[in-house]
Parts: sequence; C-alpha cells; structure tokens
Amino acid sequence: MRVNPFIYGILILALFFGVIGGAKAAGVWSVSGKLTASGEKVAPTGANVDEIKGWMTLDEIAAAYKTPVAEILAAFDLPADTPGAAQIKSLESPTFSTANLRAWLRARLGQ
Amino acid sequence: MTTAVHTQGFGKVKPRRRGLAAMLTHHAFRRLTQIGVLIFIVFIAVRHQLVGENGATITASWEAYCPMGGLETLYKFIVTGGKFVSHAHLSNVVVLGAALAVALLARNAFCGWICPFGFIQDTVGSFSAFVQKRAPMLRRAVKTLKTKAARLALLDRYLRFLKYGVLAWTVLGAAAYGFMVFRDFDPWAALWNLLELSLAGGTLVLAVVLIASLFVERPWCRYACPLGAATGLVSLLSPIYLKREANACRECAICTKACPMGLPVHTATTIKSADCVGCLECVDECPREGALELKLGVPVFGN
Repeated sequence: MRVNPFIYGILILALFFGVIGGAKAAGVWSVSGKLTASGEKVAPTGANVDEIKGWMTLDEIAAAYKTPVAEILAAFDLPADTPGAAQIKSLESPTFSTANLRAWLRARLGQ
Repeated sequence: MTTAVHTQGFGKVKPRRRGLAAMLTHHAFRRLTQIGVLIFIVFIAVRHQLVGENGATITASWEAYCPMGGLETLYKFIVTGGKFVSHAHLSNVVVLGAALAVALLARNAFCGWICPFGFIQDTVGSFSAFVQKRAPMLRRAVKTLKTKAARLALLDRYLRFLKYGVLAWTVLGAAAYGFMVFRDFDPWAALWNLLELSLAGGTLVLAVVLIASLFVERPWCRYACPLGAATGLVSLLSPIYLKREANACRECAICTKACPMGLPVHTATTIKSADCVGCLECVDECPREGALELKLGVPVFGN
C-alpha cells in the first residue's frame, strides 16, 4: 500500500509529540531534579545521603553534612583548588561520581 | 499549474510544480519541522543560560530534551527502578521512547525529520553546495576530491559500523561507571557548552563534523551517532519502507545523489536500511511517476 509523504510526515510528528504529550498528561515527566513533583525547590538537608544529586555543589553538601570541602576533595584525590561552587556532576570521573560521594558520606556518617 | 507530461518508455515524467504547489512539498514540511525543533531547543538553551543554574526560577536545560540522555541513563533507570545518571531526567527517557516509537512505526525518521543536529549538518551541506554552484574552481576541486574518495567506497561501508561501537561504549560505559562517558565527546553537547565558553573533547569532534559536512552529507549520522545507531536498529522492524519499481525507473541515479546518507537507492529494490533516515529526498528528486514510493507492508519480510 502506498503511503503519501505528507501523511508520513504527519504520522512522525503525531507519534513523537503524542508520546511526549501522553507522558506529560500522565505525570511521567520531569525536566529538572531541582524540583519536587509538587514544584517545590529541592535542597540538601543532611538527613539522608540518597538525596544528594549531581547538580548540588560541594559547598551545599559540605554545609548540609557538616563535612569540610577540603576533606571531600582529599578523599577523592580532586585538586585542592577545586571551587566549592562546583557541581558534583561537573567533577565526575571514573573515580568520582555522585554515587561514590554518597557511599563515602554514608560510611563517614555511619548512616 | 503543470507543464506537459510525456513518457519515454518508463514511468511518466512527473509534472513540474510551479507557484504555491512548488513550495508545499514534503521537503518544505520536513524543513519547517526541523527548524521548529531547533528554534525550540535554542530558546530552551538561551533561557537556561540567562536564568542560570541557581536562579530563583528553575528552568530546563537543553539536555532535558535530548534522547541521548535517555539512552545513557536507560540501564540505571531500569536496574534502580527510576534513578538517573547525572545530567539526565525523566524527560530524557520519555523523549527516547518517542524517538524509538517513531523508529518502530515510521523508520528512522527521528534523524531525518526532528534531530536538530542532523538539520545543522544538512544546512552546512546545503551551504557547501550553494558555494560550489557559484565557485566553479571550488566545485571542480570538490569533484576531484570526491572522485578520488570514491575508491574508498569499501572504507565507507565499514566505517558505518563504527556507530554501533560508539553505541555500545555509550550504553555500557554509562552502565559500568554510572556517569555519561560519551558526554565529553558529544558534538551536540559541545555546541551548547560553547554558550558557557566551555571546551571539551566534543568541541574537536564538533569541528571535525562541521568541516566534514562541507564534503560529505551527514557524516556524524553516517558513521558515529549512537542514537541513530539505536533508532536505526529498531527501524528495521518498521512496516514502512521505500520501494523502487524497476519498470518505472531509468536508473538515472538522481535518487542516490539526493540521499544524504549515501545509500545506493537506484540499484535497490526495497530500501529498508537502518541508515535510511526517512527524509524522502530521493522520492522528492525522482523525476519519474511511481518509480520510487513509500510503502506500507509486512515488517522485515514485506516487499
């Protein structure tokens, strides 16, 4: 059966935006980890290391978990002059990641 | 309005479109779609840059709409029951799902109709063609280069498998290390990082892709794009494909020259390649009625 090229184009757009629109309508959509599902801003509280996200800065983590930035840098062999405003995700390497930091803090705090 | 139609023993010559009919083509439809998506992404990226990471208002970054992020976080998303690697969000998984849904039902059309990086390569290629038309010396130089490069056709065939290696590295690397190993080499990410005046390995890849686009159409899509590799594999199950009617075709090879992915359309019976991006440039350029058409049939086996 022959397919009209215009119908083909409409099918592509309907499929693509239909899946995205359907997901949004069903609440299966989030474009930032900085907001909760109800739209409130997320910030580290120091209560549970699982809340740590890649967009959080070293300063935020240090303040929330009462751990000096220098100690974090030393634990992962990161350069000592790394700014505290650096986001964790910007420092990721095979030896340092958000998951590694969570595990290290968990062990350090005995959580 | 049309000019006279005549036959020469093959399919009828398509009537020449004039005026509004010449503008209302599926080619224009596709270009408008690509431009619309690119404008949306530029708006998102500029807004995010202006508001900043820690502004009073939280804005989405361009990365939130990239299906590559979905591909890179897919393993973690599945095994952890909904967690993501850094830089990825639920939106990435949804957009990846949308791209795969398109691939499953309508071939690899995400690359041909929606992907803004594909459009950028198309635009650089069109600019190159425009300049070559007006500079005969350059045109001759490029033609000579292409004639010499034609001897490397076998290399082109094998280089196309490179993207499956990049796909494996991207997915398995993210699964093994828990972060986006491909991101630093991603030319699309490098393009937006330029907004932040940040340079990475991807900047060099971006430069190579843009320069190569002057001579080869869609080099990133042909040889290295991991997302195109994934959607291309899924597109093999699509019920939509291109069919060349040998009785109506003069084998003029205009379709092959028009194909941005360099597929040998004029010698094929059906075009079901994972590399076909469904742009329909070949159908648009084909001068014969019924020689090259888009068909709906049984997936994989239908002809």
